[in-house]
Amino acid sequence: MKNKTAQALALTVVAAVALGGCAATSEPGASGEQTVSIWLDDNTENPCFAETIKDTFAAEGVTLDIELKTDWDSLTKTAVAGGGGPDVIMTPGITYTLEYAKAGVLEPLDAYATEYGWDSTIASWALSAGKYEDTLYSLQSELETMILWYNKSVFDRLGLTPPTTTAEFDAVADALDKAGVTPFASGNAEWKGVNEWFISGLFNGHAGADAVYSALAGDGSFTDPGFVEATDLITKWQQQGYLAGGLDRYYTTTFDEFLSGFGAGDYGMNMEGSWRFSNIDTFFSAAGNEWDWVPFPTKDGRELYSIGTGSSWGINASSKNKDAAAEVLNHIFTPEIQAQLAVDCGFAPGPVTLDASMLEGLDPRQARLYESVATAAAKGDYGYLTWAFFGPETDQYIYEEIEKLWGGSITTAQYLEGLQELNDKERLAGDNPPLPER
Amino acid sequence: MTTSIIHGPPDLVGDESAPVPPRRQRGRFRGRARAGITAWLFLLPVLAVHLFTVAVPAVTGVYYSFTDWSGIGDAEWVGLENYQRLLQDGDYLLALGNNVKWLLFFWTVPFFLAILASFLLSQVRRGQTFYRLVYFVPYVLPSVVVASLWKFMLNPDKGVPSFLSALGIQGFDKALLGQESTALWTIAFIDNWHYWGFLATLLLVAMQSVPTELYEAARLDGANLWHQLMNVTIPAIRPTLIFMFMMTGIWSFLVFDYVWVLTQGGPAGSSEVLGTLVYKTAFTQFDAGYAAAQGVSMAIFASFLLAFFLLMRRRGWEI
Amino acid sequence: MKTRSRWASMAKHVPLILLAIFATGPIAILVTNSLKTRTELGLEPVGLPENPQFSNYVEAWVVSDFALHAGNSAILVFSTVICVLVLAGLAAYSLARLAPPGSGAVLFYLLLVTAFPIWLYLVPLFFTWRNLGLINTSFGLVVIYTAINSPLAIFLLRSYLVRIPKEIEEAAFVDGASKMQVLLRIILPISWTGFLTVGLVVAVAVWGEFQIAFVMLQDEDKLPITTSFYRFAESFGQDWSKTSAVAVLAILPIIILFVVFQRRFTEGLTQGSVK
Repeated sequence: MKNKTAQALALTVVAAVALGGCAATSEPGASGEQTVSIWLDDNTENPCFAETIKDTFAAEGVTLDIELKTDWDSLTKTAVAGGGGPDVIMTPGITYTLEYAKAGVLEPLDAYATEYGWDSTIASWALSAGKYEDTLYSLQSELETMILWYNKSVFDRLGLTPPTTTAEFDAVADALDKAGVTPFASGNAEWKGVNEWFISGLFNGHAGADAVYSALAGDGSFTDPGFVEATDLITKWQQQGYLAGGLDRYYTTTFDEFLSGFGAGDYGMNMEGSWRFSNIDTFFSAAGNEWDWVPFPTKDGRELYSIGTGSSWGINASSKNKDAAAEVLNHIFTPEIQAQLAVDCGFAPGPVTLDASMLEGLDPRQARLYESVATAAAKGDYGYLTWAFFGPETDQYIYEEIEKLWGGSITTAQYLEGLQELNDKERLAGDNPPLPER
Repeated sequence: MTTSIIHGPPDLVGDESAPVPPRRQRGRFRGRARAGITAWLFLLPVLAVHLFTVAVPAVTGVYYSFTDWSGIGDAEWVGLENYQRLLQDGDYLLALGNNVKWLLFFWTVPFFLAILASFLLSQVRRGQTFYRLVYFVPYVLPSVVVASLWKFMLNPDKGVPSFLSALGIQGFDKALLGQESTALWTIAFIDNWHYWGFLATLLLVAMQSVPTELYEAARLDGANLWHQLMNVTIPAIRPTLIFMFMMTGIWSFLVFDYVWVLTQGGPAGSSEVLGTLVYKTAFTQFDAGYAAAQGVSMAIFASFLLAFFLLMRRRGWEI
Repeated sequence: MKTRSRWASMAKHVPLILLAIFATGPIAILVTNSLKTRTELGLEPVGLPENPQFSNYVEAWVVSDFALHAGNSAILVFSTVICVLVLAGLAAYSLARLAPPGSGAVLFYLLLVTAFPIWLYLVPLFFTWRNLGLINTSFGLVVIYTAINSPLAIFLLRSYLVRIPKEIEEAAFVDGASKMQVLLRIILPISWTGFLTVGLVVAVAVWGEFQIAFVMLQDEDKLPITTSFYRFAESFGQDWSKTSAVAVLAILPIIILFVVFQRRFTEGLTQGSVK
């Protein structure tokens, strides 16, 4: 009696669970044809990316499977940690791929570099950035730099000229404020990392690229006066409510909100990176205003571009189709394709050798930037974006602790001392990304 | 049957005397053994699933808390290092402090509202179904929906605060979620909006088994509503009340969803809780070993609460 | 005297009504917002819409692929509720009435695990699931949901079952019934409202679950309604009128479910208390 009912019960449970499992599918198995999978962020620009790559990529027996997922970076990480994940791994930056390389989940790329001749198409500083213990593990794309965007219509109306020195920078901000325009469009509700945009721009601009380089390398220190002044400036602006109209607004404003406001003329300037080219037009044309950009102001007014790369690509060490994955990777990094991505989809091209003809069809303001940056990078005269050249812990400290400074619970000295300590720690442990010779 | 009720309802937790086995089996060892086996067979399925899905991975998680592990690759044993680090970690202590504040909030505000509502509901004749439905509905909504809704409503320029400011009420011209002084409490308020109705429903169910004779007796003795609440209702529902205090306490150490969706622990860590801290440590800092230690500490705190309540149990309800 | 007690009973309703407004006000705002155009919303955030835009709902349904995702959620809810009621029901009956040796330890274990944060075991669990091929499957997710919802279900069910007088079962045992038969034929009919309540609690928990589904399910077409709403809010966040339409769609099924069962539930309870 008991057994029968127990059995019946077991069957019921199995049935119920099977019902739940009826929507389950088994994982895609390998079948003759090689599939190369890529996971990307589910944002507004990536569908264009996926389409462009799929349309242009043609290779025998290789199918491309590009999937867009929200929170793709943590999904990738958990999948890779479990021994799976996509064949081609795309991460938000060099610090991530560095971590993967250290854990041994990325395939060394040196052989492919030779096969495809990457040292002639990809900038050498970018190639060296992707190395760990002298082996190449990742390729960097989406060259980005901090610049100063401004609402040209507002500036013209108020008779202002965009600043070149930090002193002018402060003065223009004050002038805007007096005229009733909130000086800076900004908000970190969606992305805490916004906090480090200002640090990147001001550290390199005001303290100087040389100072940043030597501090990173361990010769100088982040507690030097240049850094103190830079930090004090952004703190002053935040506490005066120059960003988004108040610290509380800054913490709760989203990208869409501040960009629409920027386009509408509620804000005068925007300290952001070159990635904004991809959609700045939509916000301004809607309001009928004009935008333009100038290099991020520096202490003495010289032209300086702090560079970094926005995304980092590697091949999964547990991939079953590594050679096919390498072909796809190579395709993505072909200069013509990078240029096409820039023109068609608004992506910043990677540090590949481009010539002007490839960038036809690009907004001249955008083309102007890429040319300037390429020239500067070739001369070895550039600044260091915090998320590209600082160690992961230091980087996180930069954008997290700054909020305590803005809120007044720590002092500038304490903030910078902490920064220095962490940088020393990571530098000595070899956790910093590679720092190309200046 | 009212006997068991007058002497206090049976409690939800702990060991009360087992029901006496039927007469024909009493004293027969084989019968008792078989009864024990059947009882265990009934327990086995759920225990098997749970052990496999939760306990085993949790033990693995505890193992990782003693290692230096980035989340991928090898884990290096470091003993108690992670735990020592916890004690000196300002961010961790800040988050812990926030969890304590959260606990104190959730032990007072939702209970006040729930007891008020459920008591009054147990006393009114009309509209019970309506009120119960209405109070429970917020609990039914997924956290992401509730959070987005309130985020919109709390917009200082477009939402409810701007409405209040237009009426001249002070203090609403700032974004509540963007100020260090108000962020955590605002999130707690939002979660409370979602939670108190659930509590009220559970308390109401408990109150409905309180026999009306007790109230009548109290009324005859001249007790007003307040006295009835304190002398009849609360003692009668005490086990449920205490159980919910314990569960609310334990859940408050696990809070994550609302904080994450609304502020991710900002600004400046003013709304950081242990749950969000662990997520960040594991997924953005590549410090999974340390995150595991934080996770274990969360479990330990929640267990302290559990232990405290069980200890109280042992001493009887009189405390 | 009569007027006084009339006022008194009406006074009891005042706090109740205020609380009712507190509970439903925001939902009402959500619904009215979903019927406004985007510009109207910007100008008039609070208040009734001038021209109800039902098209928002059509668009929301289509763009968010609502049918697919709500269907996924429904499967997860249904499967989990059944599994939990069966597994937890058996266990609760055992703990409440069969006195298994060592039940104290079992109860302690079940209580203890409610204190475990998901982060304590999510990554190792992910590894295991991956090795078993359970990642990206509804089955795998249902197993996890069943496990984590069972402890509370066991406690609640046990508290209902423990109130039932022993005499009811004793008669049946004397007649030679097995434990299972007693459970199914006698206990269940008496306590079905308790099972219903627990089922509802589990249904709500699963319908609203977000974090675990997000990590365990990777295919877009397997995502439940919570994650799909999250994505929608991320990409269409500026357009609150459409986002709130999706939100209303997302909460409608669970509210309907609750309303439908709420009536039976109250009836059952009133009957139960008279007994």
